[in-house]
Amino acid sequence: MIRIEDLTFTYPGAEKPSLKKIRLHVEKGDFLAVIGNNGCGKSTLCKTLNGLIPHFISGDMEGHVLIGGEDTQEQQVGSLARKVGYVYQDFENQIVRPTVLDDASFACLNYALEGHEERGRKALSMCGLKEKEGDFIWQLSGGQKHLLALAGALALGPEVLILDEPIAQLDPFHARQTYEILEKLNREYGKTIIVIEHHTEYIARYCKHAILMRDGEILWKLPAREALRQVEDLEESNIFPPQVTLAAYQLKKRGILLENVPLPTTLEEGKEAFSSCRFWPCVGRHQEEKPLGEVMVDLENIRAGYRAVKGESRPIFDGFSLKIRRGEKVALIGSNGAGKSTMMKLMIGLMKPEAGRISLQGQNTRKMSPEEMAKRISMVYQNPEEMFIKDSIEADIAYAMRVRKVPDWRERTEKLLELFHLTGIKDRDGRLLSGGQMRRASLAIGIALNPGILLLDEPTANLDIATRHEIMGTLELLKGITETVVIATHDMQLVCQWADRILVLKDGRLIADGAREEIFADREVERQVGIQPPEIYAMGRALSEKADCYTIEEFIDCFQEMEVNCFQEMEANCFQEMKGEGFGYAGEAV
Amino acid sequence: MLEKLSENLFDKISIDFLRNQVMKNAYGNNDTVIAALDPRILLLWYLFFGLAPWFMKDVVLLLGMFLLVAALACMARIAPLVLFLFCIGVFTQTGYLLLISLFFGGNMETVAPLLVMTLKVAVVSLASVTVFSGLDPDRLANGLEWFGCPERFSFSISFGYRMLPVLMEEFQNILLSYRLRGNAPAKDTFVGKVRWFVYQVKVIMMAFYPLMLNTAKRSRTTVEALELKGYRYASQNMAVKRIRLASLRLGNRDIWFVGISAAWMAACVGFSWWVRGGML
Repeated sequence: MIRIEDLTFTYPGAEKPSLKKIRLHVEKGDFLAVIGNNGCGKSTLCKTLNGLIPHFISGDMEGHVLIGGEDTQEQQVGSLARKVGYVYQDFENQIVRPTVLDDASFACLNYALEGHEERGRKALSMCGLKEKEGDFIWQLSGGQKHLLALAGALALGPEVLILDEPIAQLDPFHARQTYEILEKLNREYGKTIIVIEHHTEYIARYCKHAILMRDGEILWKLPAREALRQVEDLEESNIFPPQVTLAAYQLKKRGILLENVPLPTTLEEGKEAFSSCRFWPCVGRHQEEKPLGEVMVDLENIRAGYRAVKGESRPIFDGFSLKIRRGEKVALIGSNGAGKSTMMKLMIGLMKPEAGRISLQGQNTRKMSPEEMAKRISMVYQNPEEMFIKDSIEADIAYAMRVRKVPDWRERTEKLLELFHLTGIKDRDGRLLSGGQMRRASLAIGIALNPGILLLDEPTANLDIATRHEIMGTLELLKGITETVVIATHDMQLVCQWADRILVLKDGRLIADGAREEIFADREVERQVGIQPPEIYAMGRALSEKADCYTIEEFIDCFQEMEVNCFQEMEANCFQEMKGEGFGYAGEAV
Repeated sequence: MLEKLSENLFDKISIDFLRNQVMKNAYGNNDTVIAALDPRILLLWYLFFGLAPWFMKDVVLLLGMFLLVAALACMARIAPLVLFLFCIGVFTQTGYLLLISLFFGGNMETVAPLLVMTLKVAVVSLASVTVFSGLDPDRLANGLEWFGCPERFSFSISFGYRMLPVLMEEFQNILLSYRLRGNAPAKDTFVGKVRWFVYQVKVIMMAFYPLMLNTAKRSRTTVEALELKGYRYASQNMAVKRIRLASLRLGNRDIWFVGISAAWMAACVGFSWWVRGGML
């Protein structure tokens, strides 16, 4: 279907080529994942396939790209668009019409294809958006917008679909939904699908092949699961293999798993591979009872909602109460539209409740000026771009302190720049930084005034996994500065590693509130909200009913023994008793 | 009580409220009688009601027109904010003169010309409001295109409405960035209040820069996507325009609409003759 022969491409003004001597064959009906670290040329490669390179984006191009046997050089972007559909990472900017059906059929209309609305409709029903065809774009959730962008590309009936990081902005439920639709398109409609993807769990589950790119070259192309077993190669490119694979890799290194056992990539494979390991319940996470701190945020009987464009407005919260205490690390989870952002907006005073009382450290927020509020609470938006109001990040970080005449604002700015590793880029405009740098800068801006409470809205969305790890590291830095942090997120790995209190929201109600052990063990919560613990937890559970491991380290600690004999079983029971009595025990996790 | 009221007012006049009103105006009324009409008919209708009043000086006729347009404006379910702005507009144009002249003992002779002027302005602006907010932007764009407006212009109208909610939300967030991180002057004294006001206006103006930069960043994808979706080809292809405009169809409703408007105008003309005859 696709043949690339010795393709080299250099962007105008760039010193080095972005693609070097690429050779790639993709067969019809393949489901191919393209992996590689940031800036390795993944997006550039994909743009050569639909003719944007070289027809729309100029540059030096050598070699050939053949789609279905025809050279892209000799075709127009228009005719290529009917063979290759493209869904961008920032898909929202790809939607150009105000209503759903209109956008889905827009391309067909432009190419004057017969029955453009019918084609649009067909594409919508392929993407599961049939009922939404009359809706306006702003009525759709993030996941639905993504599917609409997909439908818009599908409507032209292309044989190849390219998706640039399809699930980066989606919650786990919608991410699965998207991949299931892609799988259906691949299987039932025979589409060739190419995804740029960092989430290796999804690659393991859905893709057929994978290629790894580094510095504009393709290192290898392998069957997907085989590809994910190349742990060293992946780690060198800052890609994290599935947790199951990593755990097995570590166990192999310690000699606990035998060399001849293939590394598992999915839960099913994991059951087989770990069958020789025995659960060793020595690690329960030490739950230290912290004394209850001062109440930092107090929501009492809140009613709040948005005005509806049509008809009666429905409150999102009605009679909602919540207390957050000093020193708590709170994770706020729930599907899109459950009220997470609204709750943050209420706390920070961007929205006023229709009824009820919000207090920060015992003071009613209604009487507070924004300036007073900013001393107590600060928020980092989901889009860091909206926090950059000056033309360099240094000025941005300094702004709040400077206008408030904080005495040592210069020193503090410098310290913050250093703390978040931004000193080298302090003169650049925040908008032009990479994803991870932007997040770090926005965090530095958020804590510039030493707020008592910090709210973070989706701090790890849209980031590749390596950058996510980096941000998690940055969160550790906050410890000394801000004690009370609330994070709204879909990222369960972040939740498990970081939070000590988890709030689960659904339709404006708090349906669960507790530590991770309580939340993930609660079947009812899982059923209602569709949250999924990290894969490693599910793996542990699949191996032993008693396993409660949330990180790879905990998993390895639990399963590092081979199946031996019943003597150890006794010993294990002994340990459990000790645990019950509150003694310290071996392998205490930090 | 007073505090409560001012609090309430302050809650109402927020960006959020403005955003809601704009959205309501654009999309909230696509199921009204007016919205269902053929946009071409409405545009022609507007051509008449937007121009004719300027050449009339008959109070009765103008009053008749005003009643008709007001009735249609009700049917179009215009957002309250727009109506409020309309009232302010009319009042600041001529309405206040009318009131002042009445207050200072003006008689029919001084009041009549002012009333005529006020009615003219009211009819014209109410007609514009009805047509442009009663129609959803897409249909309006189609109608304009049929009359030969460049395709790019009509595309920008609907694209503008597609982007509007996104931009307003972003603007709101940037403003909040300024409000939370900035330091507004204290507003206890009168000078302080003036300074506070100047500061707020300055912040609103400054917030546009980040908004524009962010939009510029965003538009890269949009431009590529438009190319992929064949937008450039469409503007060269007449067949596309034909297909797009094929959805415009005259129906019974449109005939009724024109008929009723014409009949009402005829009745007004008749009535005004009769009044004048009676006076003579």
